[in-house]
Amino acid sequence: MSSHAAAAVAPANRIKGTYAHLDCLLAGIERLRAAGIQGFQVVSPLPRHEIEEALYGGAPSPVRWWTLTGAITGFTFGFLLPSLTHSQWPMINPGGKPVVSLPTFAIIMFECTILFGCLATLAGFIVHAGLPSFMLDKSLQDPRYSDDQFGIVFLNANVTQTDAITSILATSGAVEITTGDDTVYEVPNA
Amino acid sequence: MLGNRPATYAETNRDILRVLFKPSPLFILAWLVSVGCLVFGAYHWYRQIFWGLGTDGMNQASFWGTFIVTFVFWVGIGHAGTLISAILFLVRSKWRTGVYRASEAMTVFAVMTALLFPMLHLGRVWQVYWFFPYPNQRQLWVNFKSPLMWDVFAISTYFTVSAVFFFIGLIPDLAIVRDHNTGLIAKVYNVLALGWRGTNRQWRHFMAAYGFFAAFATPLVLSVHSVVSWDFAMATTAGWHSTLFPPYFVAGAIFSGCAMVITLLMPMSYFFGWKKYVNMWHYDALAKMCLLTSAILTYSYATEYFIGWYSQNPYEWEIFQWRATGELAWAFWLMIFCNCIAPLPLYFKKLRHNHIFLFIVTILINVGMWFERFNIVVSSTAHSFDPSMWRAYNPSFNEYAILIGSAGWFFFLFLSFSKTFPSVAMMEIKEMVAPPVRGGHHE
Repeated sequence: MSSHAAAAVAPANRIKGTYAHLDCLLAGIERLRAAGIQGFQVVSPLPRHEIEEALYGGAPSPVRWWTLTGAITGFTFGFLLPSLTHSQWPMINPGGKPVVSLPTFAIIMFECTILFGCLATLAGFIVHAGLPSFMLDKSLQDPRYSDDQFGIVFLNANVTQTDAITSILATSGAVEITTGDDTVYEVPNA
Repeated sequence: MLGNRPATYAETNRDILRVLFKPSPLFILAWLVSVGCLVFGAYHWYRQIFWGLGTDGMNQASFWGTFIVTFVFWVGIGHAGTLISAILFLVRSKWRTGVYRASEAMTVFAVMTALLFPMLHLGRVWQVYWFFPYPNQRQLWVNFKSPLMWDVFAISTYFTVSAVFFFIGLIPDLAIVRDHNTGLIAKVYNVLALGWRGTNRQWRHFMAAYGFFAAFATPLVLSVHSVVSWDFAMATTAGWHSTLFPPYFVAGAIFSGCAMVITLLMPMSYFFGWKKYVNMWHYDALAKMCLLTSAILTYSYATEYFIGWYSQNPYEWEIFQWRATGELAWAFWLMIFCNCIAPLPLYFKKLRHNHIFLFIVTILINVGMWFERFNIVVSSTAHSFDPSMWRAYNPSFNEYAILIGSAGWFFFLFLSFSKTFPSVAMMEIKEMVAPPVRGGHHE
């Protein structure tokens, strides 16, 4: 991209509210949603069910579909692998027992269900959580958010809503409101 | 009993991160001892590879010696970690938070140690890939009807699931280590944490996935030692061929694992100054778990004898009599003392809360559990159906050296982990701390 083209692109309208208290953060989220403002992310040092409830209203994560698909695939694989390989040697039939023997293959089916289900859950988690996330915006890379602070971050807020957003963040109890991405963050206890 | 909880999120981070990357002289000494044991064991494995399995005490009758005994021992040790991290997570038990990370690390490292033993027992370790089903020129496949093949699937699945569960739980804490350091350490931990930032999107899928991992690990932990027990119980060998084996093995595994968690965490909490996070609340719960599983084991031992007598099967009754009176009787009575009698004083709260007494009992339990497997594995093959095949089995020096080496490998991994990764889960401890609120109390 040439410098001329870069200059033509409007800079992202970043707004970041940092909270020291969970109830203030929740009030901020509630007021933003009540005002119909969207496009923000919440960063927190731990998963709190109140935050998830406020943002997603109890909708389950799609990771469960990955889990189910993986488990069904594993179960099928766990049956097919021993059945097909044993069927290649039907002449080896000790004691008149069946070549495809469900009680003995059930163990393999069980283990493969768990293994494939687990690996698919891992894949689903990585895809939906957007990992690895080395390229996340700098405003989200605030070491205070893994310590004891919470954040509401707009990476590119609607310019017409800027005043409304900063007002909501301030009145809900944000201890710091910053715009732009030039903040230098201190590393706690470093 | 909840102990002295941290007051704030930041205090939790500070307390746990304080011990990282700064080994004390005592820690370095312990670490060097573990490395020394590891090198000692590795050299004897090299000797075994060079000279062959003749360096070990196994013979025509006792074809499964201490390698299989120790394999079962280490797999069993792992079980308590999964129990604490998965089952207690699903039932929302609060005491797990302080101890689960270290227990989970113990699980992964114990299974890594156990995995060495089938390779050691194999002798020709370079052919280890024969364990796995893979397409080959003659279209020969492994026998899926063999309990040994079930074990390959069970242990490899157990290791994979435990390692994934362990690593996923570690990600948010790795991000905390990154955020509290600068330079190269911050860069390395950023890569390990996969750039984790704790956004609402990340937490949402993290919690969903974590729940599923716990749900998978729960039946797995009960199944793995059942499958290990079938290595024995599926054979028509006297003393092994019993439907009692799976529950008996699972209880034994949890027994030894909980004892090992206490053995590892008690010095760790003491030396790292983590009384706030790992304390008598946890030891008490683990000791009660040991008591329960000890009672199950005692009942199982008694049932084995009762069935041996009541079945009127002469081979079965002979082997059980021989275990208690034959040349390996010392191992049998040591097992009875360590597993059935030594834990009994823990019924008294005063003794359960005595650190030194509890620590000694947990070590005795682990000695007892190794000898339990020794009794099962060695006695049944050394004294089988045909008296002309009765052979004495004496482990060679090489086997003892490799046993010591395996302990060195386990402690090397655990000690290295404890100084480079947070051994108490900061993220989960924070869930126990009242969140900071401006408008009054919040739980």
